[in-house]
Amino acid sequence: MKKKIFELRDVRFSYLGKYPALQGVDITIEKGSRAAVIGANGSGKSTLLNILDGLIFPDTGSVKFFGAELDEKALADERFNRYFRSRVGLVFQNPDIQLFCPTVKEEIMFGPLNFGFSHKEIKKAFDLIVDVFGIKDLVDRMPHQLSIGEKRKVSMASVLISGPELLLLDEPTAGLDPKTSRGLVDLLNEYHDDGKTIITATHDMHIVEEIADIVHVFSRDKKIIRSGPPAELLADTEFLEENNLIHSHFHRHDGKAHTHPHEHPSHDHTH
Amino acid sequence: MGTLVFLKESVFSDEYASRKGFMQSIDPRFKAVSFFLFILTALFTKSIATSLWLYLLCLMLVCVSKIDLGFFLKRTWIFIPIFSLFIAIPAIFSIVTPGEALVSFKLAGLNFIITRPGLAGGALFVTRVTVSVSFVVLLSITTKHFELLRVLRVFKVPHMFVMVLGMCYRYIYLFVEVVENTYLAVRSRVGRRVHYKKGQRMAAWNMASLWHRSYRLNEAVYNAMLSRGYSGEPAIFNDFKARPRDWVWLACSVVLTFISLNII
Repeated sequence: MKKKIFELRDVRFSYLGKYPALQGVDITIEKGSRAAVIGANGSGKSTLLNILDGLIFPDTGSVKFFGAELDEKALADERFNRYFRSRVGLVFQNPDIQLFCPTVKEEIMFGPLNFGFSHKEIKKAFDLIVDVFGIKDLVDRMPHQLSIGEKRKVSMASVLISGPELLLLDEPTAGLDPKTSRGLVDLLNEYHDDGKTIITATHDMHIVEEIADIVHVFSRDKKIIRSGPPAELLADTEFLEENNLIHSHFHRHDGKAHTHPHEHPSHDHTH
Repeated sequence: MGTLVFLKESVFSDEYASRKGFMQSIDPRFKAVSFFLFILTALFTKSIATSLWLYLLCLMLVCVSKIDLGFFLKRTWIFIPIFSLFIAIPAIFSIVTPGEALVSFKLAGLNFIITRPGLAGGALFVTRVTVSVSFVVLLSITTKHFELLRVLRVFKVPHMFVMVLGMCYRYIYLFVEVVENTYLAVRSRVGRRVHYKKGQRMAAWNMASLWHRSYRLNEAVYNAMLSRGYSGEPAIFNDFKARPRDWVWLACSVVLTFISLNII
Protein backbone atom coordinates (compact mmCIF):
# COMPACT_ATOMS: atom_id res chain seq x y z
CA MET A 1 0.00 0.00 0.00
CA LYS A 2 1.27 3.45 -0.94
CA LYS A 3 2.10 5.98 1.77
CA LYS A 4 -0.46 8.70 2.35
CA ILE A 5 1.03 12.19 2.12
CA PHE A 6 -2.16 14.08 2.88
CA GLU A 7 -5.43 12.98 4.41
CA LEU A 8 -8.21 15.57 4.63
CA ARG A 9 -11.42 14.80 6.47
CA ASP A 10 -14.54 16.97 6.41
CA VAL A 11 -12.50 20.13 5.77
CA ARG A 12 -14.52 23.34 5.86
CA PHE A 13 -13.21 26.83 5.25
CA SER A 14 -14.76 30.23 4.72
CA TYR A 15 -13.21 33.60 3.90
CA LEU A 16 -13.81 36.32 6.52
CA GLY A 17 -15.96 33.79 8.30
CA LYS A 18 -18.90 34.40 5.94
CA TYR A 19 -17.97 33.40 2.38
CA PRO A 20 -17.75 29.60 2.26
CA ALA A 21 -14.96 28.23 0.07
CA LEU A 22 -14.89 24.55 1.11
CA GLN A 23 -17.88 22.75 2.59
CA GLY A 24 -16.80 19.33 3.82
CA VAL A 25 -13.93 18.10 1.65
CA ASP A 26 -12.51 14.57 2.00
CA ILE A 27 -9.44 13.73 -0.03
CA THR A 28 -6.39 11.46 0.28
CA ILE A 29 -3.15 12.11 -1.60
CA GLU A 30 -0.87 9.10 -2.01
CA LYS A 31 2.87 9.28 -2.51
CA GLY A 32 3.87 9.21 -6.17
CA SER A 33 0.34 9.85 -7.44
CA ARG A 34 -0.82 12.31 -10.07
CA ALA A 35 -4.11 13.98 -9.28
CA ALA A 36 -6.13 16.66 -11.00
CA VAL A 37 -8.65 18.81 -9.18
CA ILE A 38 -11.22 20.16 -11.57
CA GLY A 39 -14.21 22.40 -11.05
CA ALA A 40 -15.86 25.58 -12.21
CA ASN A 41 -14.54 29.02 -11.20
CA GLY A 42 -14.93 29.67 -7.48
CA SER A 43 -15.56 26.03 -6.63
CA GLY A 44 -12.72 25.89 -4.06
CA LYS A 45 -9.76 24.47 -6.00
CA SER A 46 -7.28 27.24 -5.07
CA THR A 47 -8.46 27.23 -1.46
CA LEU A 48 -7.78 23.50 -1.27
CA LEU A 49 -4.24 24.00 -2.62
CA ASN A 50 -3.59 26.77 -0.09
CA ILE A 51 -4.71 24.43 2.70
CA LEU A 52 -2.46 21.65 1.38
CA ASP A 53 0.44 24.12 1.35
CA GLY A 54 -0.21 25.12 4.96
CA LEU A 55 -0.93 28.75 4.08
CA ILE A 56 -4.45 28.75 5.45
CA PHE A 57 -6.06 26.40 7.94
CA PRO A 58 -9.56 24.90 7.96
CA ASP A 59 -12.29 26.27 10.22
CA THR A 60 -13.25 22.69 11.03
CA GLY A 61 -12.10 19.24 9.94
CA SER A 62 -8.68 17.66 9.93
CA VAL A 63 -5.62 17.87 7.67
CA LYS A 64 -2.94 15.22 8.18
CA PHE A 65 0.51 15.32 6.62
CA PHE A 66 2.22 11.91 6.77
CA GLY A 67 -0.21 10.98 9.54
CA ALA A 68 0.50 14.03 11.75
CA GLU A 69 -1.93 16.90 12.19
CA LEU A 70 -0.99 19.91 10.04
CA ASP A 71 -2.05 23.09 11.78
CA GLU A 72 -0.66 26.48 12.82
CA LYS A 73 0.89 24.98 15.94
CA ALA A 74 2.77 22.34 13.94
CA LEU A 75 4.07 24.91 11.45
CA ALA A 76 5.16 27.24 14.25
CA ASP A 77 7.90 24.71 14.99
CA GLU A 78 10.90 25.93 12.96
CA ARG A 79 12.30 22.47 12.17
CA PHE A 80 8.96 21.07 11.06
CA ASN A 81 8.25 24.23 9.09
CA ARG A 82 11.49 23.89 7.11
CA TYR A 83 10.87 20.15 6.61
CA PHE A 84 7.31 20.74 5.38
CA ARG A 85 8.08 23.74 3.16
CA SER A 86 11.00 22.02 1.46
CA ARG A 87 8.83 18.99 0.67
CA VAL A 88 5.68 20.72 -0.52
CA GLY A 89 5.89 23.30 -3.30
CA LEU A 90 3.06 25.45 -4.63
CA VAL A 91 3.05 27.18 -8.00
CA PHE A 92 0.54 30.00 -7.67
CA GLN A 93 -2.08 30.82 -10.27
CA ASN A 94 -0.94 34.44 -10.59
CA PRO A 95 2.81 34.62 -11.29
CA ASP A 96 2.86 38.31 -10.35
CA ILE A 97 2.22 37.20 -6.78
CA GLN A 98 4.91 34.60 -6.80
CA LEU A 99 7.62 36.63 -8.51
CA PHE A 100 8.56 39.22 -5.89
CA CYS A 101 12.36 39.36 -6.20
CA PRO A 102 14.24 41.98 -8.23
CA THR A 103 15.62 39.47 -10.77
CA VAL A 104 14.81 36.05 -12.15
CA LYS A 105 18.06 34.70 -10.68
CA GLU A 106 17.23 35.87 -7.15
CA GLU A 107 13.69 34.62 -7.59
CA ILE A 108 14.84 31.11 -8.45
CA MET A 109 17.42 31.09 -5.64
CA PHE A 110 14.98 32.41 -3.00
CA GLY A 111 13.67 28.97 -1.95
CA PRO A 112 17.00 27.10 -1.63
CA LEU A 113 18.56 30.07 0.20
CA ASN A 114 15.75 30.05 2.75
CA PHE A 115 15.92 26.27 3.10
CA GLY A 116 19.59 26.62 4.03
CA PHE A 117 21.17 24.95 0.98
CA SER A 118 24.90 25.64 0.65
CA HIS A 119 26.00 28.16 -2.01
CA LYS A 120 27.65 25.31 -3.96
CA GLU A 121 24.41 23.28 -3.97
CA ILE A 122 22.39 26.33 -4.99
CA LYS A 123 24.73 27.14 -7.87
CA LYS A 124 24.54 23.54 -9.14
CA ALA A 125 20.75 23.31 -8.82
CA PHE A 126 20.35 26.76 -10.39
CA ASP A 127 22.41 25.86 -13.47
CA LEU A 128 20.43 22.64 -13.88
CA ILE A 129 16.95 24.16 -13.53
CA VAL A 130 17.79 27.09 -15.81
CA ASP A 131 18.92 24.58 -18.41
CA VAL A 132 15.81 22.39 -18.03
CA PHE A 133 13.46 25.36 -18.50
CA GLY A 134 15.60 26.99 -21.21
CA ILE A 135 15.60 30.34 -19.38
CA LYS A 136 19.33 31.08 -19.31
CA ASP A 137 18.82 34.35 -21.19
CA LEU A 138 16.25 35.54 -18.63
CA VAL A 139 18.26 35.19 -15.43
CA ASP A 140 19.31 38.84 -15.15
CA ARG A 141 15.93 40.20 -16.26
CA MET A 142 13.36 41.68 -13.93
CA PRO A 143 10.31 39.40 -13.53
CA HIS A 144 7.87 42.18 -14.42
CA GLN A 145 9.49 42.51 -17.85
CA LEU A 146 8.64 38.93 -18.83
CA SER A 147 5.77 37.57 -20.91
CA ILE A 148 3.12 35.43 -19.20
CA GLY A 149 4.69 32.22 -20.56
CA GLU A 150 8.13 33.23 -19.29
CA LYS A 151 6.67 34.23 -15.91
CA ARG A 152 5.06 30.79 -15.59
CA LYS A 153 8.33 29.05 -16.44
CA VAL A 154 10.19 31.14 -13.85
CA SER A 155 7.47 30.47 -11.24
CA MET A 156 7.80 26.74 -11.81
CA ALA A 157 11.59 26.85 -11.83
CA SER A 158 11.59 28.80 -8.55
CA VAL A 159 9.60 26.00 -6.90
CA LEU A 160 11.15 22.97 -8.62
CA ILE A 161 14.73 24.04 -7.84
CA SER A 162 14.19 22.89 -4.23
CA GLY A 163 12.98 19.48 -5.47
CA PRO A 164 9.71 19.23 -3.50
CA GLU A 165 8.26 15.74 -3.13
CA LEU A 166 4.76 17.09 -3.59
CA LEU A 167 4.13 19.69 -6.24
CA LEU A 168 0.89 21.69 -6.17
CA LEU A 169 -0.01 23.61 -9.30
CA ASP A 170 -2.80 26.14 -9.58
CA GLU A 171 -3.99 26.56 -13.18
CA PRO A 172 -0.51 26.07 -14.65
CA THR A 173 -1.60 26.39 -18.28
CA ALA A 174 -3.83 29.48 -17.89
CA GLY A 175 -2.94 32.06 -20.53
CA LEU A 176 -0.33 29.89 -22.23
CA ASP A 177 -0.12 29.24 -25.96
CA PRO A 178 -0.58 25.59 -27.04
CA LYS A 179 3.13 24.92 -27.58
CA THR A 180 4.21 26.28 -24.18
CA SER A 181 1.32 24.42 -22.58
CA ARG A 182 2.50 21.18 -24.24
CA GLY A 183 6.07 21.72 -23.01
CA LEU A 184 4.78 22.25 -19.48
CA VAL A 185 2.78 19.01 -19.52
CA ASP A 186 5.85 17.07 -20.73
CA LEU A 187 7.94 18.63 -18.00
CA LEU A 188 5.41 17.73 -15.30
CA ASN A 189 5.34 14.14 -16.50
CA GLU A 190 9.13 13.95 -16.41
CA TYR A 191 9.03 15.28 -12.86
CA HIS A 192 6.47 12.63 -11.95
CA ASP A 193 8.67 9.91 -13.48
CA ASP A 194 11.27 10.85 -10.85
CA GLY A 195 8.84 9.59 -8.20
CA LYS A 196 7.29 12.96 -7.29
CA THR A 197 3.64 13.56 -6.43
CA ILE A 198 1.77 16.15 -8.46
CA ILE A 199 -1.61 17.76 -7.81
CA THR A 200 -2.92 20.12 -10.45
CA ALA A 201 -5.96 22.35 -10.10
CA THR A 202 -7.27 23.18 -13.53
CA HIS A 203 -10.27 23.60 -15.75
CA ASP A 204 -8.24 23.00 -18.86
CA MET A 205 -9.83 19.73 -19.96
CA HIS A 206 -7.19 19.23 -22.67
CA ILE A 207 -4.49 18.29 -20.25
CA VAL A 208 -6.37 16.38 -17.54
CA GLU A 209 -5.88 12.88 -19.00
CA GLU A 210 -2.18 13.51 -19.51
CA ILE A 211 -1.35 14.90 -16.10
CA ALA A 212 -3.52 12.80 -13.81
CA ASP A 213 -4.27 9.21 -12.88
CA ILE A 214 -7.13 10.31 -10.67
CA VAL A 215 -9.48 13.26 -11.01
CA HIS A 216 -11.39 14.94 -8.19
CA VAL A 217 -14.35 17.02 -9.31
CA PHE A 218 -15.55 19.99 -7.28
CA SER A 219 -19.23 20.87 -7.43
CA ARG A 220 -20.65 24.38 -7.28
CA ASP A 221 -21.48 23.79 -3.60
CA LYS A 222 -17.73 23.53 -2.89
CA LYS A 223 -17.47 19.81 -2.22
CA ILE A 224 -15.72 16.99 -4.04
CA ILE A 225 -18.63 15.15 -5.56
CA ARG A 226 -16.83 12.57 -7.58
CA SER A 227 -13.35 11.06 -7.90
CA GLY A 228 -12.15 8.57 -10.46
CA PRO A 229 -9.92 7.79 -13.43
CA PRO A 230 -9.83 10.61 -16.00
CA ALA A 231 -11.05 8.47 -18.93
CA GLU A 232 -14.17 7.44 -17.03
CA LEU A 233 -14.96 10.92 -15.76
CA LEU A 234 -14.31 12.75 -19.00
CA ALA A 235 -16.59 10.33 -20.85
CA ASP A 236 -19.53 11.36 -18.65
CA THR A 237 -20.38 14.54 -20.56
CA GLU A 238 -23.71 14.98 -18.85
CA PHE A 239 -21.99 15.08 -15.45
CA LEU A 240 -19.31 17.49 -16.71
CA GLU A 241 -21.89 19.81 -18.22
CA GLU A 242 -23.87 19.80 -14.99
CA ASN A 243 -20.76 21.00 -13.18
CA ASN A 244 -19.83 23.74 -15.66
CA LEU A 245 -16.79 21.92 -16.98
CA ILE A 246 -17.98 21.65 -20.56
CA HIS A 247 -20.65 23.52 -22.43
CA SER A 248 -23.10 22.81 -25.20
CA HIS A 249 -21.71 23.97 -28.46
CA PHE A 250 -23.98 25.33 -31.15
CA HIS A 251 -22.74 25.29 -34.72
CA ARG A 252 -23.54 24.32 -38.33
CA HIS A 253 -22.30 21.49 -40.49
CA ASP A 254 -23.38 21.32 -44.12
CA GLY A 255 -26.05 23.90 -43.46
CA LYS A 256 -27.53 21.92 -40.55
CA ALA A 257 -27.54 23.59 -37.11
CA HIS A 258 -27.12 21.44 -34.00
CA THR A 259 -25.78 21.44 -30.45
CA HIS A 260 -23.54 18.96 -28.63
CA PRO A 261 -21.33 18.99 -25.55
CA HIS A 262 -18.00 20.60 -26.20
CA GLU A 263 -15.01 19.87 -24.01
CA HIS A 264 -12.23 20.84 -26.41
CA PRO A 265 -10.21 17.62 -26.28
CA SER A 266 -9.80 18.09 -30.00
CA HIS A 267 -11.45 20.29 -32.56
CA ASP A 268 -12.09 17.33 -34.86
CA HIS A 269 -15.28 15.48 -34.19
CA THR A 270 -17.69 13.25 -36.10
CA HIS A 271 -21.44 13.26 -36.19
CA MET B 1 -0.93 58.92 -19.40
CA GLY B 2 2.26 60.78 -20.37
CA THR B 3 3.31 60.83 -16.71
CA LEU B 4 2.92 57.07 -16.44
CA VAL B 5 4.96 56.50 -19.60
CA PHE B 6 7.67 58.88 -18.29
CA LEU B 7 7.69 57.05 -14.94
CA LYS B 8 8.03 53.66 -16.62
CA GLU B 9 10.77 54.81 -18.96
CA SER B 10 12.84 56.81 -16.50
CA VAL B 11 12.51 54.74 -13.33
CA PHE B 12 12.10 51.22 -14.60
CA SER B 13 14.23 51.23 -17.73
CA ASP B 14 17.76 49.93 -17.28
CA GLU B 15 18.77 51.30 -20.67
CA TYR B 16 21.80 53.30 -19.49
CA ALA B 17 22.87 50.66 -16.97
CA SER B 18 23.03 48.10 -19.80
CA ARG B 19 25.36 50.21 -21.97
CA LYS B 20 29.03 49.31 -22.19
CA GLY B 21 30.42 52.52 -20.64
CA PHE B 22 33.15 53.18 -18.08
CA MET B 23 31.07 53.43 -14.90
CA GLN B 24 28.92 50.47 -15.97
CA SER B 25 32.06 48.33 -16.10
CA ILE B 26 32.99 49.02 -12.45
CA ASP B 27 31.84 46.62 -9.72
CA PRO B 28 28.80 48.27 -8.05
CA ARG B 29 30.37 47.94 -4.58
CA PHE B 30 33.48 49.85 -5.63
CA LYS B 31 31.40 52.39 -7.51
CA ALA B 32 29.23 53.01 -4.44
CA VAL B 33 32.27 53.43 -2.16
CA SER B 34 34.02 55.85 -4.53
CA PHE B 35 30.88 57.96 -5.02
CA PHE B 36 30.33 57.99 -1.28
CA LEU B 37 33.88 59.39 -0.89
CA PHE B 38 33.19 62.12 -3.46
CA ILE B 39 29.91 63.07 -1.80
CA LEU B 40 31.55 63.20 1.65
CA THR B 41 34.26 65.46 0.22
CA ALA B 42 31.64 67.76 -1.24
CA LEU B 43 29.78 67.88 2.07
CA PHE B 44 32.82 68.71 4.20
CA THR B 45 34.63 71.12 1.92
CA LYS B 46 34.27 74.86 2.47
CA SER B 47 35.58 75.70 -0.97
CA ILE B 48 33.21 76.29 -3.89
CA ALA B 49 36.13 75.51 -6.23
CA THR B 50 36.40 71.98 -4.76
CA SER B 51 32.68 71.42 -5.21
CA LEU B 52 32.83 72.69 -8.78
CA TRP B 53 35.83 70.45 -9.52
CA LEU B 54 33.88 67.45 -8.21
CA TYR B 55 30.91 68.44 -10.36
CA LEU B 56 33.21 68.64 -13.38
CA LEU B 57 34.57 65.19 -12.51
CA CYS B 58 31.02 63.84 -12.35
CA LEU B 59 30.18 65.32 -15.77
CA MET B 60 33.37 63.79 -17.22
CA LEU B 61 32.33 60.39 -15.84
CA VAL B 62 28.90 60.90 -17.43
CA CYS B 63 30.56 61.45 -20.82
CA VAL B 64 32.80 58.37 -20.60
CA SER B 65 29.83 56.25 -19.47
CA LYS B 66 27.96 56.76 -22.76
CA ILE B 67 25.18 58.75 -21.11
CA ASP B 68 23.55 61.60 -22.99
CA LEU B 69 24.72 64.75 -21.14
CA GLY B 70 21.42 66.56 -21.87
CA PHE B 71 19.41 63.69 -20.34
CA PHE B 72 21.70 63.65 -17.29
CA LEU B 73 21.45 67.41 -16.71
CA LYS B 74 17.67 67.34 -17.09
CA ARG B 75 17.37 64.46 -14.65
CA THR B 76 19.60 66.04 -11.99
CA TRP B 77 18.38 69.62 -12.28
CA ILE B 78 14.79 68.52 -11.61
CA PHE B 79 15.82 67.71 -8.03
CA ILE B 80 18.40 70.40 -7.32
CA PRO B 81 15.95 73.34 -7.05
CA ILE B 82 13.71 71.24 -4.81
CA PHE B 83 16.52 70.31 -2.45
CA SER B 84 18.57 73.47 -2.45
CA LEU B 85 17.45 76.61 -4.26
CA PHE B 86 14.29 77.12 -2.26
CA ILE B 87 16.24 76.68 0.96
CA ALA B 88 19.27 78.72 -0.13
CA ILE B 89 17.42 81.78 -1.46
CA PRO B 90 16.40 83.25 1.95
CA ALA B 91 19.96 82.67 3.24
CA ILE B 92 21.51 85.11 0.76
CA PHE B 93 19.62 88.08 2.22
CA SER B 94 20.77 90.20 5.14
CA ILE B 95 17.78 89.16 7.30
CA VAL B 96 19.22 85.63 7.57
CA THR B 97 22.95 86.25 6.92
CA PRO B 98 24.18 89.72 7.89
CA GLY B 99 27.40 91.06 6.36
CA GLU B 100 28.86 93.23 3.61
CA ALA B 101 26.08 94.31 1.22
CA LEU B 102 26.49 93.38 -2.45
CA VAL B 103 23.16 94.33 -4.00
CA SER B 104 20.07 95.96 -2.58
CA PHE B 105 16.61 96.43 -4.07
CA LYS B 106 13.07 97.32 -3.07
CA LEU B 107 10.12 95.01 -3.56
CA ALA B 108 6.56 95.75 -2.42
CA GLY B 109 7.89 98.52 -0.20
CA LEU B 110 10.44 96.28 1.52
CA ASN B 111 14.19 96.73 1.29
CA PHE B 112 16.12 93.55 0.35
CA ILE B 113 19.92 93.33 0.72
CA ILE B 114 21.99 90.49 -0.67
CA THR B 115 25.15 90.08 1.42
CA ARG B 116 28.58 88.68 0.41
CA PRO B 117 28.68 85.93 3.14
CA GLY B 118 25.03 85.12 2.37
CA LEU B 119 25.74 84.70 -1.34
CA ALA B 120 28.90 82.65 -0.66
CA GLY B 121 27.07 80.38 1.81
CA GLY B 122 24.11 79.96 -0.55
CA ALA B 123 26.36 79.17 -3.50
CA LEU B 124 28.35 76.61 -1.46
CA PHE B 125 25.13 74.97 -0.32
CA VAL B 126 23.76 74.75 -3.87
CA THR B 127 27.02 73.33 -5.28
CA ARG B 128 27.15 70.73 -2.48
CA VAL B 129 23.62 69.60 -3.29
CA THR B 130 24.42 69.65 -7.02
CA VAL B 131 27.44 67.37 -6.55
CA SER B 132 25.59 64.99 -4.21
CA VAL B 133 22.50 64.71 -6.41
CA SER B 134 24.64 64.28 -9.54
CA PHE B 135 26.72 61.42 -8.11
CA VAL B 136 23.62 59.68 -6.73
CA VAL B 137 21.86 59.97 -10.10
CA LEU B 138 24.99 58.75 -11.91
CA LEU B 139 25.18 55.76 -9.57
CA SER B 140 21.50 54.93 -10.08
CA ILE B 141 21.53 55.17 -13.86
CA THR B 142 24.77 53.26 -14.41
CA THR B 143 23.83 50.42 -12.06
CA LYS B 144 20.97 47.97 -12.46
CA HIS B 145 18.53 48.47 -9.61
CA PHE B 146 18.87 44.90 -8.32
CA GLU B 147 22.65 45.36 -8.12
CA LEU B 148 22.11 48.51 -6.05
CA LEU B 149 19.92 46.51 -3.68
CA ARG B 150 22.61 43.85 -3.40
CA VAL B 151 25.20 46.54 -2.67
CA LEU B 152 23.02 47.76 0.21
CA ARG B 153 22.90 44.21 1.55
CA VAL B 154 26.68 43.80 1.22
CA PHE B 155 27.11 47.02 3.23
CA LYS B 156 24.99 45.53 6.00
CA VAL B 157 21.95 47.73 5.53
CA PRO B 158 19.22 45.78 7.42
CA HIS B 159 17.86 42.98 5.20
CA MET B 160 14.28 43.84 5.93
CA PHE B 161 14.79 47.42 4.74
CA VAL B 162 16.44 46.28 1.49
CA MET B 163 13.75 43.68 0.88
CA VAL B 164 10.94 46.17 1.38
CA LEU B 165 12.72 48.61 -0.94
CA GLY B 166 13.07 45.95 -3.63
CA MET B 167 9.44 44.95 -3.34
CA CYS B 168 8.27 48.55 -3.50
CA TYR B 169 10.18 48.94 -6.75
CA ARG B 170 8.74 45.68 -8.10
CA TYR B 171 5.13 46.38 -7.17
CA ILE B 172 5.10 50.07 -8.01
CA TYR B 173 5.62 48.86 -11.60
CA LEU B 174 2.66 46.51 -11.26
CA PHE B 175 0.50 49.32 -9.91
CA VAL B 176 1.62 51.70 -12.64
CA GLU B 177 0.35 49.08 -15.06
CA VAL B 178 -2.92 48.70 -13.15
CA VAL B 179 -3.45 52.48 -13.19
CA GLU B 180 -2.59 52.62 -16.90
CA ASN B 181 -5.04 49.82 -17.75
CA THR B 182 -7.75 51.31 -15.56
CA TYR B 183 -7.30 54.66 -17.29
CA LEU B 184 -7.59 53.00 -20.71
CA ALA B 185 -10.67 51.04 -19.59
CA VAL B 186 -12.33 54.22 -18.32
CA ARG B 187 -11.49 56.08 -21.51
CA SER B 188 -12.86 53.28 -23.67
CA ARG B 189 -16.19 53.50 -21.85
CA VAL B 190 -16.68 57.21 -21.22
CA GLY B 191 -14.79 58.82 -24.08
CA ARG B 192 -12.14 61.52 -23.92
CA ARG B 193 -14.00 64.30 -22.07
CA VAL B 194 -15.23 63.70 -18.55
CA HIS B 195 -16.93 66.31 -16.37
CA TYR B 196 -14.58 67.27 -13.55
CA LYS B 197 -17.03 66.14 -10.85
CA LYS B 198 -17.36 62.73 -12.45
CA GLY B 199 -13.57 62.73 -12.92
CA GLN B 200 -13.07 63.36 -9.20
CA ARG B 201 -15.41 60.50 -8.34
CA MET B 202 -13.56 58.18 -10.71
CA ALA B 203 -10.18 59.20 -9.29
CA ALA B 204 -11.41 58.57 -5.74
CA TRP B 205 -12.84 55.21 -6.76
CA ASN B 206 -9.54 54.32 -8.44
CA MET B 207 -7.57 55.19 -5.32
CA ALA B 208 -9.84 53.05 -3.16
CA SER B 209 -9.67 50.17 -5.62
CA LEU B 210 -5.87 50.41 -5.85
CA TRP B 211 -5.57 50.45 -2.07
CA HIS B 212 -7.79 47.38 -1.83
CA ARG B 213 -5.77 45.55 -4.49
CA SER B 214 -2.47 46.41 -2.85
CA TYR B 215 -3.78 45.15 0.48
CA ARG B 216 -4.80 41.83 -1.05
CA LEU B 217 -1.54 41.59 -2.98
CA ASN B 218 0.43 42.16 0.22
CA GLU B 219 -1.18 39.12 1.83
CA ALA B 220 -0.79 36.95 -1.27
CA VAL B 221 2.89 37.84 -1.74
CA TYR B 222 3.61 37.09 1.91
CA ASN B 223 1.99 33.66 1.46
CA ALA B 224 4.12 33.05 -1.64
CA MET B 225 7.22 33.88 0.42
CA LEU B 226 6.16 31.59 3.27
CA SER B 227 5.53 28.81 0.80
CA ARG B 228 9.18 28.94 -0.26
CA GLY B 229 10.61 28.79 3.20
CA TYR B 230 10.71 32.46 4.25
CA SER B 231 10.84 32.69 8.02
CA GLY B 232 11.41 36.41 8.61
CA GLU B 233 15.16 36.45 7.87
CA PRO B 234 15.90 37.05 4.19
CA ALA B 235 18.96 35.16 2.91
CA ILE B 236 21.33 36.54 0.27
CA PHE B 237 23.49 35.02 -2.43
CA ASN B 238 26.50 37.28 -2.87
CA ASP B 239 28.32 36.54 -6.12
CA PHE B 240 30.08 39.88 -6.67
CA LYS B 241 33.67 39.42 -7.86
CA ALA B 242 36.23 42.23 -7.67
CA ARG B 243 38.59 42.56 -10.66
CA PRO B 244 41.89 44.48 -10.90
CA ARG B 245 40.19 47.39 -12.70
CA ASP B 246 37.84 47.84 -9.70
CA TRP B 247 40.79 48.15 -7.31
CA VAL B 248 42.49 50.58 -9.71
CA TRP B 249 39.33 52.69 -9.83
CA LEU B 250 39.06 52.71 -6.04
CA ALA B 251 42.71 53.78 -5.72
CA CYS B 252 42.12 56.56 -8.28
CA SER B 253 39.03 57.71 -6.34
CA VAL B 254 41.05 57.96 -3.11
CA VAL B 255 43.73 59.97 -4.93
CA LEU B 256 41.10 62.25 -6.50
CA THR B 257 39.50 62.78 -3.08
CA PHE B 258 42.90 63.67 -1.62
CA ILE B 259 43.58 66.11 -4.46
CA SER B 260 40.14 67.70 -3.98
CA LEU B 261 40.70 68.22 -0.28
CA ASN B 262 44.32 69.39 -0.26
CA ILE B 263 45.28 70.97 -3.52
CA ILE B 264 42.26 72.88 -4.70
